[in-house]
Amino acid sequence: MRKKNYININIITISIWVLFVLSACNSKSEFKGKIGMTCMDLTNPFFKLIGNIMQAEAAKFGYEVIALSGNLDPARQNNQLSDFVAQGYDAIFLNPVDSKSAGEGVKKAYAAGIPVFTFDVQVTDKEASKLIFSHIGSDNYQGGRLAGESMIQITGDKGKIAILSFPEVTSCILRVKGFRDVLRENNSRLQIVTELSGKGNRNDGYSVTTDILQAHSDIIGIFAINDPSALGAYAAVQKAGKLDQITIVGFDASPAGKQAVFEKKIYDSPQQFPRKMAIGTVRAFIDYLEGKDLLKNNFIPCAHYYYQDSVDDSSRVKEQW
Amino acid sequence: MILVLIVLCLLFSMLTLKEQSPDSVSAADQIIKQIEESYTHDKIIITVGAFNKDSEPFAISLREKLKHKAYKNVTSITGIPRDLRLTLDSLKQANTKPAVIATSGDVVKWRIIELLPQFYPEFADCEIIAPETYLWPDFLKQSNLIAIVDRIVVIAVIAIGMTMVIITGGIDLSVGSLIAVSAVVGTVIMKALGGLDGSAWAVLVGFLAGILACGIIGGLGGFLVAKFKVPPFITTLGIMLMGRGLAFMITGGFSIYQVPKSLTWLGQGTTLSIPNTVILLLLLYLIAHIFMIHTRTGRHIYAVGGNEEAARLSGVHVKNILIFVYIISGIAAGIGGSIQASQLNTGTPNMGLMYELYVIAAVVVGGTSLSGGVGKILGTLIGVFVISVIQNGMNLLGMESYTQQVVLGLVILLAVLLDKVRGGNFLSIIISRGNKSI
Repeated sequence: MRKKNYININIITISIWVLFVLSACNSKSEFKGKIGMTCMDLTNPFFKLIGNIMQAEAAKFGYEVIALSGNLDPARQNNQLSDFVAQGYDAIFLNPVDSKSAGEGVKKAYAAGIPVFTFDVQVTDKEASKLIFSHIGSDNYQGGRLAGESMIQITGDKGKIAILSFPEVTSCILRVKGFRDVLRENNSRLQIVTELSGKGNRNDGYSVTTDILQAHSDIIGIFAINDPSALGAYAAVQKAGKLDQITIVGFDASPAGKQAVFEKKIYDSPQQFPRKMAIGTVRAFIDYLEGKDLLKNNFIPCAHYYYQDSVDDSSRVKEQW
Repeated sequence: MILVLIVLCLLFSMLTLKEQSPDSVSAADQIIKQIEESYTHDKIIITVGAFNKDSEPFAISLREKLKHKAYKNVTSITGIPRDLRLTLDSLKQANTKPAVIATSGDVVKWRIIELLPQFYPEFADCEIIAPETYLWPDFLKQSNLIAIVDRIVVIAVIAIGMTMVIITGGIDLSVGSLIAVSAVVGTVIMKALGGLDGSAWAVLVGFLAGILACGIIGGLGGFLVAKFKVPPFITTLGIMLMGRGLAFMITGGFSIYQVPKSLTWLGQGTTLSIPNTVILLLLLYLIAHIFMIHTRTGRHIYAVGGNEEAARLSGVHVKNILIFVYIISGIAAGIGGSIQASQLNTGTPNMGLMYELYVIAAVVVGGTSLSGGVGKILGTLIGVFVISVIQNGMNLLGMESYTQQVVLGLVILLAVLLDKVRGGNFLSIIISRGNKSI
């Protein structure tokens, strides 16, 4: 009995100490408010960077950005949106895990008077999309067209090619659509023999490409919808000893992608601009607070990223986006 | 374990202490007093409220009260900063200026108000009045407490079945996948029975079909465990993979969103201003509690977990009991999936990812022994609360996602350890690990 009390008292004393220390840390100097941010997956460097830049940019205006990861789970993200609403945050920056499920959270936020701004991926729920104050994202369709142009150019517009897609994600569907449209509009003699999901990561890109090479050993080009799957494809092509035969076009110009372009593993990686996206989202919120008219949709065009671009690119050396 | 919960609540209350602004009647009276003291009745007054259910009525009632006090030029604006700008622009064009802008607490933060002299130099001497703020923890706000309960419902319901399974000495890894199966089967049926224009009956049929499907799948697993003595871990691991794949196959990988409007009644609706989910949760826990304590089958579940052989010898139908608990676990997961579908107004095949682990953690934190025979339904409820309070608190504090996982894992370990220490002599427990009467 005595021992039990002793332990209980200890626990309580320690807890109180922790409380005081933590609450001392918590009482920060004057700030305007908090913004809730939730994205698909914070372990993805693309979103990590966006989160960091949003935090830095919002801090200039006295706002703190709470960046959370939806971990590719729509229900988890919905809970996070509920938490933001319960907190009465001043705004929500949303990158939906699922373009449709996110609608419920958006409606909840709107009902509570919290403006929602989306970035990278749009909300497609009919009612909820009207409640979004502004969206900013890459022009993925146009980026896909750039990839198509590069593919036509490097292959001499003749032969068989394969696509590594990621049909679960809207932005990746648009990239493939842009790519196919360019080929069709130019009456390209390139023949797309297969389109399989590389799931946007290196492992699946590798194994799917290995399988493709078994079935179509004579392909001359691969378009992968992002750099990780493009690098997976590269590893598979290398293992099959077909580096001279096959050209790879990626997407994103991520740090790893830039390096791969520099090492001539990837021919082109149409570039996205996460910095612009992050700053643009914060800017939209500030414009909102100032009562300005907001652009409902704001698409940032992608740009080619070739070997020449990578040579003197300091961001590549510093491993930045 | 209640102690842990209380300490956690205290902790988060202190950490989330923040200035809150009252948008209530008394706050409005205070503002009116201020205006009456310094301004004559002919001055232009604008009351501003943001587009939410506290702020908007505040601005409107303020306007009405001022008019009642014989102020003639009162307008109220509710909505977004842009609406205020448009009004100010038109005032500027008419060459008039407001004397007072009275706002609710959240509007003060609008930059157009904050930087008013900068945006409108001609309005520089306009006074801005807002209610005084007070200190109150975010954690204890009514809306947050509801949010906590709202988010635990799915896990809490599934934890009922899991508690029973674990008490028999088994485990059910398939519940996360079954959430998806239930949600997907349910919404696909609703879509087929009329889609967006479907009736409440379509919803009910969808729910029941989803729950039934999960019950059957659960029973199948229970049959394998009971009849062929396949270890529950492996049986339910197989079902977990199959269930997830099935959910993706049924939908072709997409979300099902063409569902009747009434689908949201369960997950988002309220009865007598209590969320329906909370009522359902309390009801299910009450039934499960009474069932485990006061019915013969309930006691048999404990007996099977305590010592299967002894239970068999004393006339308990061990096999039936085992099949029964896995059916219940499947049904509970099915109900959980229906609630989730209702909360999100969609059926998505990647729902419930990793939920089995959260549920198992909650059950164990709630005092149920993984070696079987010991556990309480109400303990599980507390365990669920502990886990969701931690998650909610960390979100409120804006802790990074990576850190959150580490902290959650640590707290689960600490909570279980603490319970062991409190329950008896720590060393003796380590020494006699087989002792189940902790």
